[in-house]
Amino acid sequence: MPLNIIVCIKQVIDPEIPASQFKIDPGTKRQVQGSHSLVISAYDQNALEVAIQLKEKQGGKVTAISVGAATAATALKSALSMGADEAILVDDPAIAASDQQGIAYVLAKATQKVGTFDLVLTGCVSGDWGDRAVPAFMAEELGIGCVSFVSRIEAKDGQVVLRRVVEDGYELIEAKTPVLASVISDDTNTPRYPKLKDIMAAGKKTIPTWKAADLVLDPDRVGSGAARVAITDVYLPLKESKCEMIKGDTPQEQAANLAARLRELKLI
Amino acid sequence: MRFELTQEQQLFREMVREFAAKEVAPRAKQVDEEGVFPHETIKKMGELGLMGVAIPPAYGGAGADTVCYAIAMEEIARACASTSTVMTVNNSLVGDLLYRFGSEAQKLRYLVPLAGGRTVACYALSEPGAGSDAAGQQTTVRKDGNVFVLNGTKNFITNALEADFAVVFATVDRGIRAKGVCALIVEKGTPGFTITKVEKKLGIRGSSCCQLLFEECRVPAENLVGEVGQGFKIAMATLDSGRIGVAAQAVGIAQGALDISLGYSMQRVAFEKPIASFQAIQWMIADIATRTEAARLMTYRAAWLKDRGGRYTREASMAKLLASETANFAATKALQIHGGYGYIYDFPAQRLFRDARITEIYEGTSEIQRVVIAQHLLS
Repeated sequence: MPLNIIVCIKQVIDPEIPASQFKIDPGTKRQVQGSHSLVISAYDQNALEVAIQLKEKQGGKVTAISVGAATAATALKSALSMGADEAILVDDPAIAASDQQGIAYVLAKATQKVGTFDLVLTGCVSGDWGDRAVPAFMAEELGIGCVSFVSRIEAKDGQVVLRRVVEDGYELIEAKTPVLASVISDDTNTPRYPKLKDIMAAGKKTIPTWKAADLVLDPDRVGSGAARVAITDVYLPLKESKCEMIKGDTPQEQAANLAARLRELKLI
Repeated sequence: MRFELTQEQQLFREMVREFAAKEVAPRAKQVDEEGVFPHETIKKMGELGLMGVAIPPAYGGAGADTVCYAIAMEEIARACASTSTVMTVNNSLVGDLLYRFGSEAQKLRYLVPLAGGRTVACYALSEPGAGSDAAGQQTTVRKDGNVFVLNGTKNFITNALEADFAVVFATVDRGIRAKGVCALIVEKGTPGFTITKVEKKLGIRGSSCCQLLFEECRVPAENLVGEVGQGFKIAMATLDSGRIGVAAQAVGIAQGALDISLGYSMQRVAFEKPIASFQAIQWMIADIATRTEAARLMTYRAAWLKDRGGRYTREASMAKLLASETANFAATKALQIHGGYGYIYDFPAQRLFRDARITEIYEGTSEIQRVVIAQHLLS
């Protein structure tokens, strides 16, 4: 059963920079990009990998969508070089300061504009703010089911079977399509390195940019005016390190005291 | 004038950088200390297109340009110079040679698997008495019916231990020097072809370096690359291209030296301050960064000239000269910034210091590069 899959990707500042180089602009309450590179949010890459593997097995088409600034075209080129068939950028000043609900609305409208779809995949957590809200809001907008923290997806008998990771193991969920899944990493969905020839081929593909007007968006539902969430403060956690010497006359006594202290601190 | 990489080149750099950080760098210490050939890494690099970067897809390559090749060499060398050495021999010394001068049959038989990373090859030009004087080949070749018969010794041949085949240079007449040189493809296991010595080296210890012996070694006539007497021209043209690869490798080593210098100087505390706050350290870092950037620009320009189809012998030599001397400068300063820790094996500064040294020697010493540059200016 060929699957038409939409993958929503977000471009974020490389989260693997050293903590010492993480800076916040107090005015905008946003992380300062500085000289750090922009990358696809990590779990979105896992979602893309799941989509590409499904396409390789089942046939179909993978379309990557990103709502963001013009720079997000680079993230979409990366998605194309990994194996997405098409990529669409939604970039409009009118939607720039939308909150999670606004972004979910825009993504849903873009997904509907793409046409028929069987699966919508997103990362389970955004790589910058650690948000988990967009997938559920988006499913609501589309009027389809949402399964979160999915690591693997199989197509079976006209349905999809989603492996949902829970605290003590996993659940297998059968779902009719279309359905939305937010993807978590596991050893089967490690993002592939794009091959050089695919990077070259991706370079030749054009990425259409859709504006608010192309999606016939309700202006009251996007932008800063429609946002229901406001960031009031952002700060770096203060880390303190203390050294405590554990006393004891013999190694055995020191070990016993150490264990007692760790228990007291509820660390063991 | 635009000093920007294309979007594809930028994406490619990101891919190789990530691959190098995750797959190459973690093995660099072991590859160096145990002197192990990075088979697994080379296989993965082949799958990504890194073993035939500028070779067209019809011959198993990725079909990118020489600038991409320089980018890839730089990023891999930044993580592990040994691995980049294997890469440069496959890509430019043998891959580029077969693509430019090989017959269609030779390309299909030897270039396709080589560019895909499924085979490894070596380039056998140097001899015990013919390094910089490449026209003075002592290895002989004579035609005997449908075969060529090789006799002689080759020295310091990179990748030879693992190579599935070698491109061997030999002369039909020692008296006519360059005009008598031929290039022949010799497969591993051909009777009369043996490896007589595996050298122990100061650096790039993950790539092998061997002495080869040819004793009445009979090679099919169809394995002659080009024509009898064209070998010297083929060797020199290939070295022009190879020098871009070594220049990029040297830029990578210099960048690696800058990386570790920044990291170490910001976290190492002396006199209650990170040593990066002292001007003595800042100047060394600034000098490393400036020279590295200059070497990078010259290397990219030589690669860009090659892609445009123009002459680039002088520019490739200039890039190789500057980049290799920069790599040694950068590695020396990085070691100094690390102080005592730079001198011990637990830290990578010493590895870069040892690896950098070869870049001033192979594929034309710094002295030969100066000769090439001066000849172009004075002719």
